[in-house]
Order: sequence, then C-alpha cells, then structure tokens
Amino acid sequence: MSKNANATLEKKIKMTQEIIDQYGRINGDNDTIHYDSELARSRGFRGTLAHGLNIMGYGAGLAARKYGDRWYTEGELYTKWIAPVCPGDDVIVTLTEDGELRGTVAQGSTMVGYAKVGNQ
Amino acid sequence: MTRPSEVKPREGDQPGTPYADFEVGAQLPEMQFTVTPEINEEYLAAIDEQDADYYTYKGRPVCAPNVLSVYLLAVLYRRYPPIQGIVVFDQLWKWRHPIFADENTDLIAFGEVTDKFEKRDRKWLRFTAKFKKTDGTLVAEAAHTLHLPE
Repeated sequence: MSKNANATLEKKIKMTQEIIDQYGRINGDNDTIHYDSELARSRGFRGTLAHGLNIMGYGAGLAARKYGDRWYTEGELYTKWIAPVCPGDDVIVTLTEDGELRGTVAQGSTMVGYAKVGNQ
Repeated sequence: MTRPSEVKPREGDQPGTPYADFEVGAQLPEMQFTVTPEINEEYLAAIDEQDADYYTYKGRPVCAPNVLSVYLLAVLYRRYPPIQGIVVFDQLWKWRHPIFADENTDLIAFGEVTDKFEKRDRKWLRFTAKFKKTDGTLVAEAAHTLHLPE
C-alpha cells in the first residue's frame, strides 16, 4: 500500500496562459477558446479556458501517489468539469482519503469526480 | 514517437462535423500510435508533474496512464473532424495495464459513438474508446461526454 493511501492529497498551481499553451502543444488542439482571450471574453468567460484534461492530470497525479502499483492495473478515474479555470486562477485539486476528487478556484468548484482502485 | 497532433485532426483544419452528422453506434476506426519516453516526459511537464519517481510499477518506471488522454479525442475526430467550440463535460478512465516509461509502446485505439441527445438547450455526444497493445493486451478504456456548439 502506498504511504499516501490514508491521507488527503493536494496539488496547488497558479494557472497561466503559458501553462495552457504548454498543454496545448502536447494535446495538439487548435480550439481558440484556449488561446484567444478576446474571443473567450466575448463568449462570457473571465478569460481563456485551461484545458479540462490538464486539470484532470493534476488529480491523476495525486491518484498515482495514493494508490501506487494498483493504479496502473485497477485504477478508475472519473472527472466532471463544472466551471472554467482561467489564467490567474489559483487552482487547488484535492484527493481525499476515500477517493473523492475536487478542483476549486476562488469562484468555487471547477471539477468533481473520484479516483479509486478495484471495487472500492 | 507519435505526437497527438500527428494523428488528431485540429479544429479549423477542415470543415467540422455538425451535430446532425454524428450517428449513434458509429464505429471509430483503429488508430495506431506510439507512446515514447519523450512523449511521457513532455506530458508530465505539461501537468506540472515534478516528481516522475512516483510513477513506478513493481519498481519499473511507467508512464502516467493519463498520457493517453491527449490521444482520446483523436479517436473521435479522425472520423468526425471537430468544429470550434466543443466543450468537455466528463470523462471516465479505467487503467488495465501499465505503459512502461523506459521503452516505446505501440498502441491501437478504437471506439464507438454511444449516445447523442439534446438537454438544457445543449447538444451532447458520448463516445467510448479502448486502447490496446499490438499483441491485444487491453491497456485502458475510456468514456467521454462532450457538448457541441450550435
């Protein structure tokens, strides 16, 4: 069992356009909502949107720490994105002892879900 | 090495697929690609993973299994090229076999459109995908829900 199995794990990061651009390069997309601030604001957002899958990646990293070997053969990750993350946001992603996954910014929850192994 | 951009049609590169054209039950054809140590390292950097030593399986270095997430939409987009404005809603992953980080791994991904519906004045699409090694070993399964712009 991982030494992190019985703890709430946390990842904090300040979102920047540079992070969004870096994720976009490996993701290989050209969705302008991630890169054109004026366009994003015209659609009612606070700014460009970070990739939801990028935020998921932070949570998956916590799960790798929590579950160790079992994560790679029995792991299950569910994420639902409920609000945007924009440049300047302080993002906090937590994975609780019982596997609840949550991402928050100052405006509230941005991602919910779970990470588990086996038949938890 | 296969960068996602080599296999994933990008928004705006060709006419995108309107909601009406998606067919429930449509098979998403096989896509072959190679996950390399370099791709994994670039992915880990993109998700601000500063300690790759956490990623081991029985003492051997492995890729973050979620590296597959940057390839998932390619499975859909190769049959249905994307339009601008697609928004991700949820995603489910089940990891079933490690991808080792000290070698190249050839993978085959394929999928199926499982649902489309209109709800709360939005148009929704669901698809599933499987990722297998070339010897048939199941590596991961995914299900993804998107909402499509008008």
